[in-house]
Amino acid sequence: MTGGCRRGGKLASRVAVAAATSATACCSAAVVALDDPWTPLTLRTNCNAAASTSSVVAGGSRPRRVVMLRHMGQTLFAPVHRSHRLWHTHGVEQHRSILHVDMDAFYVAVEVRTDPSLAGRPVIVGGSGARGVVASCSYEARAHGIHSAMPSTRARRLCPEAVFLPGRYDLYQQCSHQLHEVLHRFTPLIEAISLDEAFLDVGGARRLLGTGVEIAWSIRRQIHDEMGLWSSVGVATSKLLAKLASKAAKPHASLTGTIPGLGVKVVEPGAELAFLHPLPVGALWGVGPATRRRLDRFGVTTVGDLAQIPPETLEGALGQASGRHLHALAWGRDTRAVEPERGVKSVGHEETYPRDHHDHEPLRREVVRLADAVASRLREAGRAGTTVVLKVRFGDFRTITRSRTVPVPLDAGPPLAKVAHALLEGVDPSPGVRLLGVSVSNLVQRDSVQLTLDDAEREADDVARAVEDIRRRFGAAAVGPASLLGPTGLERKRRGDQQWGPTSPPSPPSGGPDGELPRRSGGVSADTDG
Amino acid sequence: MKFSCERDVLLEALAVASRAATGRGGSLPVLSGVRLEVGGDRLYVAGSDLDLTIRVETQVKGSQDGVCVLPARTVTEITRALEAGAVSIESDEDEAHLSSGRYRSSLRALPADDFPRVPALTRGDGGVTEGVVNLDVGDVGQALRQVVRAASSDDARPILTGVLMTAEEGGLRLVATDSYRLAIRDLPGRNVLGEGQQVLVPSKALAELQRLLPSVSEVELAFGDHDATFDLAGVRLTTRLIEGDFPNYRQLIPSSYPNRLVVDKEEIQGALRRVRLLARDATTPVRLALRPDTIELSVVTSDLGQASEEVDSKYEGTEMTVAFNPGYLVDGIEATDGDEVSLETIDALRPAIIRGTGSEEFLYLLMPVRVS
Repeated sequence: MTGGCRRGGKLASRVAVAAATSATACCSAAVVALDDPWTPLTLRTNCNAAASTSSVVAGGSRPRRVVMLRHMGQTLFAPVHRSHRLWHTHGVEQHRSILHVDMDAFYVAVEVRTDPSLAGRPVIVGGSGARGVVASCSYEARAHGIHSAMPSTRARRLCPEAVFLPGRYDLYQQCSHQLHEVLHRFTPLIEAISLDEAFLDVGGARRLLGTGVEIAWSIRRQIHDEMGLWSSVGVATSKLLAKLASKAAKPHASLTGTIPGLGVKVVEPGAELAFLHPLPVGALWGVGPATRRRLDRFGVTTVGDLAQIPPETLEGALGQASGRHLHALAWGRDTRAVEPERGVKSVGHEETYPRDHHDHEPLRREVVRLADAVASRLREAGRAGTTVVLKVRFGDFRTITRSRTVPVPLDAGPPLAKVAHALLEGVDPSPGVRLLGVSVSNLVQRDSVQLTLDDAEREADDVARAVEDIRRRFGAAAVGPASLLGPTGLERKRRGDQQWGPTSPPSPPSGGPDGELPRRSGGVSADTDG
Repeated sequence: MKFSCERDVLLEALAVASRAATGRGGSLPVLSGVRLEVGGDRLYVAGSDLDLTIRVETQVKGSQDGVCVLPARTVTEITRALEAGAVSIESDEDEAHLSSGRYRSSLRALPADDFPRVPALTRGDGGVTEGVVNLDVGDVGQALRQVVRAASSDDARPILTGVLMTAEEGGLRLVATDSYRLAIRDLPGRNVLGEGQQVLVPSKALAELQRLLPSVSEVELAFGDHDATFDLAGVRLTTRLIEGDFPNYRQLIPSSYPNRLVVDKEEIQGALRRVRLLARDATTPVRLALRPDTIELSVVTSDLGQASEEVDSKYEGTEMTVAFNPGYLVDGIEATDGDEVSLETIDALRPAIIRGTGSEEFLYLLMPVRVS
């Protein structure tokens, strides 16, 4: 594109005009939105220009929709902002088609698949120790009132005969990869929410693969054929409704056995409110116990009740932002796009201890362990980061974070541990440390490495690279920091262990609360409503 | 304690001294204050973070001698906000009253006894300097501008946060490195230290010194065993020296370079400024393709795009591409004297040297970035 500057300037001014009159812009011309991360501008093309959209693979990475503008012999490409706007093509309105795929009792289902004798029994995956929580439970267990995020001790009281399993993160992750393989056959527009849950935008696949409903059934069938696991799929015009629909398609627990669900639930365009309004208000995202209490004062129990409250009243009760937000949700207005590959902002690990630590020494060792694991994941992802954050939760749940930013991005265990140790020095552990976390943020691509004049640092980098090579070839436990050597070999922190609290039966029960909510350690949460 | 003076006189003294005061929430609360002392018609205002102390001396109309420590930020902000004119401060042990025109305030004082003693120069038997040395401000200012930027800001590596001052062939040499680059500046003929002696001065103190230099014509320098003092007209800056061994920087400087590039300083600065705009973050490297008559500078950021610009140059050596952190490269080029700048390299993985042509007194060593 030559003379691009002037042309760009002209276009930009025209965009401003078009944006101001965008309401009238859609009839005779194609309406497109440019990929400006903040303001999706509406651009009206005039007679000399032709606009068309197509899917291309940009820069060999993720597929993107681009708009191609041909104007006076020039061709402009611009990636299209996946805006919530409907696409108007020749006057035909096309609705978005969003799928929410959610595995049924994922972790438990995987365990039952491995050991069929567990089928039909109350099975709980989660931390079994005094501080553990339920990560996932079978429908038989749910019939006893057990649900995910419940303290394991309470689950055990509710159903003493339940089978407790510690959970095998590696296996679930493997299954998750398999699931994503299936999903990727249908669309590249996948937003993974957790290991077993994802949004898909199949709007672009309809011509090839059929309607959203047809795709939903194929996905469900293919997952079952290939993985032996059941899933539920919601089909709707927004993420909010798709998620609620998949929930409505789930099996139900009852004391006499599991009642199969619909498998696929569709909320047809136009029928959104009929589906949404009878649901309890707590079904909406962002309505937790606190908000519910406030809404109670208005006599709100269903989403429909909420929709009837004037937005100003809602804003008064809940604050401007969340009031406005809830009002929109209550009317089924959810314009968020399915965003594949949400950029990772930080990488971290944290661990709750069966017993509080009161001294620096064991904590220093834990920091080495966490830093080593964080560094491994950073290197795997080809990232490095400049801000190191140490998180400390005390026995009374008071939680503090301390951070330090270094000039050159880190991705090796020893330098990470060094910074984290310095941060730990500033923390007094004497009240008892319950949880420790190390994370790295301000991430950059590790496609270049600032070389150093410092021999020791250079050696540390060489060592870190050698360690990663050895681990890649001989496994994660083949080599590690000497300080992590225990009686049973290297005590490495692995992603996913300790996800749901320590499993080892601890010493005397602590005075504090006996469980806590699942943490998003390793970027994964419990499968909450599978 | 009681004195009065013009608003501007007080403000300048407070603003300078409080730069050494710590923020709130430090381990020693009194350090967030400035110490005001009146003796006759002299007012001394001091701020300190234990490592660095800045003391300003100024003329006021004193009515009663005494000492008082006031919260640095508050008292400075108040003074800044006052209308021009006379200000008077009167204090007892617990409280200070500040008034100007129709404005009145009373401020709770910090315990003056807790304030660290403004260190007197400790000149032991093995004292580093015999006396006091006067330095030309222009030279010192330029040397600081060239060197201080290369010091590390990472407190985890205290040695590297200092600037090494060392006696070198009858002159003074300043050296700083953050382990990614190294800056060396010689001030020939400035005998500040005994031959072979060296001290490590915190770069933070030197940065403060740098700020103060433009307003004076001469600086007096004296070294003690554990501290250094810089005396400027009315301002005394005392800093604790960093203990420890500075890395052996001499061995880092290669003895010869097979490749040498000479390029116009302004042109390469302009080109760098432009191509850098496409760097995603501070660590996105800039690549220099070195060729006989031109060099090409380029930045590639996968999601954003790429930019390149050619600059005329004289280059002798093997054609190659070498990448640098753009910030470090800009720092180095900016620090050089003269209209042209030279870049000497061995290969894309070993340190390169940047100098201003025609000046042997400054050298900037820079490690490349390895790009995959």
